[in-house]
Amino acid sequence: MSGESATTAIHKGQVDLLDFIDWTSVECLNQSTTHSLPNAIKQGYREDEGLHLESDADEQLLLYIPFTQVIKLYSIAFKGPEDEGPKTVKLFSNKEHMGFSNVNDYPPSDTVVLSPEHLQVGKPVLLKYVKFQNVRSLTIFIEDNQTGSEITKVQKIQLIGSTVETTDMKGLKKIEDH
Amino acid sequence: MVLEATMICIDNSEWMRNGDYSPSRFQAQADAVNLICGAKTQSNPENTVGVLIMAGKGVRVLVTPTSDLGKILACMHGLEVGGEMNLAAGIQVAQLALKHRQNKKQQQRIIVFAGSPVKHEKKMLEMIGRKLKKNSVALDIVNFGEDDEEKTEKLESLLAAVNNNDTSHIVHVPAGPNALSDVLISTPIFTGDGEGGSGFAAAAAAAAAGGVSGYDFGVDPNLDPELALALRVSMEEERARQEAAAKKAAEDTSKQGGEQQAGSQEASSQDATMTERASASTSEAENKTTDLMDDENALLQQALAMSMDEPAVGHDVKDTDMSEASVDDPELALALQLSVADSTKDQASQSEVLADQSAVSDILASLPGVDLNDPSIKDLLASMQNKSEPQKKNDDKSSNEEKK
Repeated sequence: MSGESATTAIHKGQVDLLDFIDWTSVECLNQSTTHSLPNAIKQGYREDEGLHLESDADEQLLLYIPFTQVIKLYSIAFKGPEDEGPKTVKLFSNKEHMGFSNVNDYPPSDTVVLSPEHLQVGKPVLLKYVKFQNVRSLTIFIEDNQTGSEITKVQKIQLIGSTVETTDMKGLKKIEDH
Repeated sequence: MVLEATMICIDNSEWMRNGDYSPSRFQAQADAVNLICGAKTQSNPENTVGVLIMAGKGVRVLVTPTSDLGKILACMHGLEVGGEMNLAAGIQVAQLALKHRQNKKQQQRIIVFAGSPVKHEKKMLEMIGRKLKKNSVALDIVNFGEDDEEKTEKLESLLAAVNNNDTSHIVHVPAGPNALSDVLISTPIFTGDGEGGSGFAAAAAAAAAGGVSGYDFGVDPNLDPELALALRVSMEEERARQEAAAKKAAEDTSKQGGEQQAGSQEASSQDATMTERASASTSEAENKTTDLMDDENALLQQALAMSMDEPAVGHDVKDTDMSEASVDDPELALALQLSVADSTKDQASQSEVLADQSAVSDILASLPGVDLNDPSIKDLLASMQNKSEPQKKNDDKSSNEEKK
């Protein structure tokens, strides 16, 4: 945890929600078959510079990430190339099986606009915490990319937050260290 | 065994009236649809299939994706041919129907039967294809019926836009002697990308080929080896029994009168044919029964010949029959004789019985509304008498003996 704090600056009490992702039900629409979602969110894969998530038919991507338990989402970080990385990202909490046709039907829980600086270091963007208090699943809709190119590439996606039932023991320790 | 929700888009436009695919394009298409539905539901019980029509008054969903095969087949019934096909709208409505499927875990697939010319622009079709790919919907295109360069090109470009990792296919079926369904069976549309449906496809091919299947009893040894073995063994046993019985019968008929033997032989043959039919064999069984019929005929011919040529022998048979029955009443004896000789082919004995003049006139008298003095009846009796003149003496003798 402390090692991460240098670049990602996780707020105390918050953890990387990687461990709570339900991998069996993770879905991604419009992803390229060679460059798929695990490349961007799985431990090890996302650190690898050579592996990234890529869109297929056009520049939009729709990711569906369910969790094994209820979590609170604090911030989100994207890392990717400056030209083809995502720009406008809409987040939907607890909406299952969305399609590209109904992304505009619901107001998003939050909208994130990324700048090249965010993409370069994977700087986390703080979210409207009140909207993400009780999250069972997260839908990430990447609407467009930095330069408007045909393909969007994402190197790494990091979700930072905390669980609802129990506070993470690692997080507790960290506080005590301080 | 891929879990899939499929929407089949049927072309029921005016172009489907053409008969270059037998019996008509529309009928060939309907048969293919039925086969596909069966294959899909069989490869995975949770698969669902829906049907919509693209022509007629407009694009209309006949049945939403369901695993109930009966419902699908029922909706195919009574479809009318007419109007013009709207391919783009059809595909889009199919996509919408799939989006609202109940089980979201199912993969989405659309199967399009494109029989009439395609009037949409290539660009528009490509856009539709891209949209399908984006929503991870696979597309299978069956290109049949009207054939022109443009149509093939457009459909190929549509496939290229949709195709993601070879999950989508296009099949061109030219008009010819082969039925549309038969051609489709061997394609990836049926076999489901090389897995799953192949077992069903093999069986369907066997049934479609109409007996030239290579499977003796219509049962695939691969699907059910024990049943196939049991059928083969019972067939061989039956054949052996038949041969033994036929031999025995041939010997016996030379000794006694042929009637009883023929009767029993026939009864046992009928039993044999029953068991054979029950085992659902194909042309082999039919050959067998015709052979049996020939044997029966031969035996019966023998019997007839004997009863005609040797009245003494026939007489003995009749006497044994009568003594077995041990009755005095001539009419009852007559009835017994009739029941013994109940074979429809055994006309000789029947005519003998009927020729018994006195008995017949007695029977006729007992019938209501028949007057023996009626000239037509008299003529009938006279003709019968003339026909069986050689037998008359014999009959009188036997009836006289009974009366004693």
